[in-house]
Amino acid sequence: MSKELIRLVDCGMRFDGETVLHDINLYINDSEFLTLLGPSGCGKTTTLKIIGGFLTPTHGDVLFDGVRINDLPPHQRQVNTVFQKYALFPHLDVYDNIAFGLRMVRPKLSRKEIDTRVLEMLEVVSLKGFEHRSVTSLSGGQQQRVAIARALVNRPKVLLLDEPLAALDLRLRKDMQQELKRIQQQMEITFIYVTHDQEEALAMSDTVVVMDSGRIQQIGKPEDIYNEPKNAFVADFIGESNIVDGYMRSDFQVEVNGRRFDCLDKGFAVDEAVDVVIRPEDIDIVPPEQGKLVGTVTSVTFKGMMYDMIVDFRGFKWLIQTTDHSPVGSRIGIKIDPDGIHVMAKSEYSGMFGDYSSFSEEYDELDDASVVLEEEESGDEE
Amino acid sequence: MKRSTQALNRVFMALVFLFLYAPIVILIIFSFNAGTSSAVWKGFSLEWYGQLFHNRMIMQSVYTTLLVSILATVIATVVGTFTAIGFYAMRRRMRAPLEAVNNIPMMNADIVTGVSLCLLFVAFFSFWNDFADWANGAQSAIVLPYLSMGFGTLLIAHVSFNIPYVLLSVSPKLRQMDKNLIDAAQDLGCTWMQAFWKVALPEIKPGIVSGALIAFTMSIDDFIISYFTAGSSTSTLAMTIYGMTKRRVSPVINAVSTLLFITVLVLLVVVNVRDARQAQKPKAAAVELDERRSPIKKFAAGAAACLIVGVLVFTGRSGAADRVVNICSWGEYIDESLIEDFENQTGIKVNYQTTDSNETLYALLKSGAGDFDVIVPSDYMIARLISENMLAELDYSAIPNFTNIDDAYQHLSYDPENKYTVPYTWGTLGIIYNESMVDAPITSWSAMFDEKYAGQVLMIRNSRDALGAALMKLGYDLNTTDETQIRQAWQLLADAKEQGVYQAFVMDEVYGKMEGGNAAIAMYYAGDYVSMLENNEDLRFVIPEEGSNWFVDAMCVLNTAKHKDEAMEWINFIASTQANLANMDFIYYASPNKDALEEYPNYYFEQYGEELDQEQYEIIATPPETLARCTLYENLPENILQLYNRLWTQLGI
Repeated sequence: MSKELIRLVDCGMRFDGETVLHDINLYINDSEFLTLLGPSGCGKTTTLKIIGGFLTPTHGDVLFDGVRINDLPPHQRQVNTVFQKYALFPHLDVYDNIAFGLRMVRPKLSRKEIDTRVLEMLEVVSLKGFEHRSVTSLSGGQQQRVAIARALVNRPKVLLLDEPLAALDLRLRKDMQQELKRIQQQMEITFIYVTHDQEEALAMSDTVVVMDSGRIQQIGKPEDIYNEPKNAFVADFIGESNIVDGYMRSDFQVEVNGRRFDCLDKGFAVDEAVDVVIRPEDIDIVPPEQGKLVGTVTSVTFKGMMYDMIVDFRGFKWLIQTTDHSPVGSRIGIKIDPDGIHVMAKSEYSGMFGDYSSFSEEYDELDDASVVLEEEESGDEE
Repeated sequence: MKRSTQALNRVFMALVFLFLYAPIVILIIFSFNAGTSSAVWKGFSLEWYGQLFHNRMIMQSVYTTLLVSILATVIATVVGTFTAIGFYAMRRRMRAPLEAVNNIPMMNADIVTGVSLCLLFVAFFSFWNDFADWANGAQSAIVLPYLSMGFGTLLIAHVSFNIPYVLLSVSPKLRQMDKNLIDAAQDLGCTWMQAFWKVALPEIKPGIVSGALIAFTMSIDDFIISYFTAGSSTSTLAMTIYGMTKRRVSPVINAVSTLLFITVLVLLVVVNVRDARQAQKPKAAAVELDERRSPIKKFAAGAAACLIVGVLVFTGRSGAADRVVNICSWGEYIDESLIEDFENQTGIKVNYQTTDSNETLYALLKSGAGDFDVIVPSDYMIARLISENMLAELDYSAIPNFTNIDDAYQHLSYDPENKYTVPYTWGTLGIIYNESMVDAPITSWSAMFDEKYAGQVLMIRNSRDALGAALMKLGYDLNTTDETQIRQAWQLLADAKEQGVYQAFVMDEVYGKMEGGNAAIAMYYAGDYVSMLENNEDLRFVIPEEGSNWFVDAMCVLNTAKHKDEAMEWINFIASTQANLANMDFIYYASPNKDALEEYPNYYFEQYGEELDQEQYEIIATPPETLARCTLYENLPENILQLYNRLWTQLGI
């Protein structure tokens, strides 16, 4: 669709003898909304800092428009950043914060031009009339907008956003997601967005890059990542998944819990051990006598538009999301359509995820504790 | 119930404030006192403020104090701030121990810091001077200067003890700062340096300002470290004031302190009002923003700061001269116009320092910090210095005025061949008493031990004099080395103390107490009695019938003096009849100059237009027949000195 703007070639990063980024290969297109998604410590912020110029990769190259920019300092890159917790300049008001970048431009811009562009930006982020407010008096959402305006005012080719919404509450976060998407489309520039929130990533991105342990696990469109995870880590990190052991008995036939299911996957060796992903919402509940598998309901949680049920199948516990209520202790049968089953080759992550035996209601992968963790790990300054 | 608690709270608060501020209020009040006393109010006057500006030593030391404080603050603030940034950039494992090391100097006792800096300077300079000797001898292309302690070392010391405070106040500000701020500024087009100036500096400015203020206060305040590092040619205000305590602290000090207090108060008020204003109107319109950014204002502030430092440096410079002489004497122990006269006559610059006692002087000389030329120790200390080979023989041919010195004050026990000394003043120790508070005139040392005056007697806080009084009461020799006699004397003193005879053991507190009529009997020096008499006419002085101690303070030149010729010129100048008259009039101690002593009543009449009271004259210039009863202190052997110290400690004052 559009041309390539940034490319990372075998980029690696080591801190104190510890590898935080293994040879990353990634390209980013012009006007793309790309998200680096992963748990804390996965290397996503490091990748962002390498692109921003705050870190120089230990090895590998960073190309911008085909030119190697490894040694270009941040202030000479056509890239701007929206920082975690915004990093607004507290001694300057809204206007001066936004005008900061313009005032650094050489040759100097006229006062009038600066004024025009600042007001323009204020309009883009819907903060007209806030020019002379002190940034410390603004709400989190407003500060966020100032940070975005400040980063965009120099008309960068790429905007880097480092967990920009992490500090906002849920509602505001949803609004800002829309807002960011709108701004990105309006300005027609590339956004590289770092987050640990998979929902956010799926909702906003053109491309999602799932990272873990300093490696890229999967790159793809949000739908592809969700429907066809490459391994257990991705399957588990993106949404809820039951990941169970299975055997590929032949193309389009996978055996789980001793029963064969039809599926859409092929190309595995006969009888190859595989990981089978079954999304909780893809499981249909039927009377026990019609079920391919039969299990006992061990817990039910009301979630508003559906119930979360944990069902025990001969010692393996699955999460099932359904609109039909079945009481705890009842026996139910299940049925799975072929497109509800996704088969993955075994990987280093096999067996680590997707087991609901120790299910707790707080199953959202990451809560705020991980944000704190990330800070502790990324800097030792607190 | 609630109301009464509130009232109680207020009373308590009032008491706290009273406790905090009463001393300063009294200081301010007495800075306007017409009399010399700090206990007796003699009416309102601005005399001390007037004198302040003519008091060369105080003005000089105020100037030194301000200059060293300002320079040390500026240097320490810059160095400390950048060090803090360095620490900030370090990993925690490295930084934590370094910060702990930084804290040590602050918790260290000043005396340790002072002495160690002094040792460092002395060691370095002696190495350097040896090296310079060798280098200057071996070649003549470059002449290496010889170094000694002075303003430079004082400044280095102040900078070194100020840096930790700046660091301590800047570091937390840096840590509080969002660590992405500098990245953000760089991201927006700044180089690292620009980012630092535009973003980090405004963020940590409050820390820098408060660090600078603490550093400045510490510098102004410091006595101990300055004392060990200032050398012989420099003296801060604190050192000058301390030097005065051997005799009495001049009320001029009240005036200086009042001015200092008010200056600091004004500074604080200005800073606080400014802060409050800024906090009040952050939303003020852009007009104010533009004004704040005005480069003219910044330039003006910078220029003003440069000007102040420039003027300070320049005025300091203008006094510098090629020929100098470094003198160490006691506070309030010279008519200062003599110093100017001497400088005008000879073109020699006089660096005039003071210490508070013979023992301090001795310690200073031994530590190597006191590289003076001329000192004015007392008799027994002279004997000790001679025995330790620390004094230089004088060139009496360069001191023609020595012939004016009365034979009675030559060849005394401390310098039997008179090779090292020219007497400066002499005087007697005696009993001062308040006529209205005793039934009969005091005539004997027994009054100092008499239970009849329990709670009314002030004993001198000095082992030699206190035990001396007891020895005289018992009829023993003042310089006895007989341990039993000394122990007997101690017993007498200890018994009297046990019986509550002594209101207190005092040195210069004696002025306030005797002038204010708070005690009846005290032992002190004749000259000081005369200045007390000005504030309380009921006071009398007596040299008891058992006899007493008399003392001679004499000018000596140190073996290590670097300006021996200038030292001889100074000694000759001070030995002149004119200088002796001026000094005698200023300090009320007797002159060893025969003509001056005899002429003093006439001189007094010329100066003040009234006759000098004969009785008063005889108290200052003790007549020979009375003086015959008095004995000089001799330098006691080491074991007896130790016995004195031991007994004195046992007394438990």
